[in-house]
Amino acid sequence: MACDGAWQIIQTATLLEVEDQSLVTLAVASQDTAAYGELIRRHQSQVRNFLRKLAGGSTEDADDLAQECFLHAWDKLQTFSGRGSFIGWLLKVAYTTFLQSKRKSKRYSEVLSEVGYVAEQQSRSYTQDTNEVSDLDKLLAVLTEEERAIMVMSYACGLSHREIGDATGLPVGTVKSIIFRGKDKIRTNFDIKDHKHG
Amino acid sequence: MTSKIINMVEKLKDAEDRLLESMFAAEPIADGGFSQRIVAQIRRRIWVRRLALPVAMLVGGIVAFKPVMQLVTVSSTLLGVVPREFLEIPASVLPQVESVTFGMPLMPMIVLSAMVVMAGILGTRLLNE
Repeated sequence: MACDGAWQIIQTATLLEVEDQSLVTLAVASQDTAAYGELIRRHQSQVRNFLRKLAGGSTEDADDLAQECFLHAWDKLQTFSGRGSFIGWLLKVAYTTFLQSKRKSKRYSEVLSEVGYVAEQQSRSYTQDTNEVSDLDKLLAVLTEEERAIMVMSYACGLSHREIGDATGLPVGTVKSIIFRGKDKIRTNFDIKDHKHG
Repeated sequence: MTSKIINMVEKLKDAEDRLLESMFAAEPIADGGFSQRIVAQIRRRIWVRRLALPVAMLVGGIVAFKPVMQLVTVSSTLLGVVPREFLEIPASVLPQVESVTFGMPLMPMIVLSAMVVMAGILGTRLLNE
């Protein structure tokens, strides 16, 4: 029993030094959940922050989405080619998970309205709740969902335009113009100083 | 070369970009058992997937056992109806239906064993895949 514990400590210590790509290979080749656990530990903060900003509303909902995202990522892990960064790929899965859940909840509220049920603000529009609206919430509220996702990937997660393109399935030029448009919207709605166009 | 220039341009951030970065910046979220919860869930799913096939085979075998036995018994009694000249094949070629192993007639035993072996082979193949 003590030996098992020691082995686990050694294994964890070893995994800490391993790069993302090797951990992915390990997880795919031998269904190593410990390796995947290390990947989750490394990236959970960024994924959860991304989904919290994207989904707005409660942190519990965003964390549920993050959990769903990591489960999807486990199922699709063999599709990670290693061409870009792992976090870029993970955010792509997170974005897809977010869009799927959004579609599901939209379909659900449509069904409810068809049967005559008036849902109590089911659609999670960004501006909804509240007494506690941060500056960033106000900032994000003027953006469309796509702009919000791309701006968060760029400014909060530090992804390059190419990585954002890979994550969203958009060409790099489109990503750049969406960022430009997003910045413009923020500029016109808020008094942001020191700005330069472009 | 071109991609290097693009990357450089991308990295040349202006004051507005830096301001946006600071506004978008968020405190790191502590793991707090989040990763362990997911890993436990994945391990559960792996076990469920591993067990699903053998359990389904077992349940299927139990459910199918009685009807298969009845079918085999009926078909063996129907053999008696067939005219004798059709059955005049050397006895050594046919399985010995009359003999009894572990209190069961031989024919159902053969069918059941074949089913179990086939299910085993299929199960092993599916598990390997």
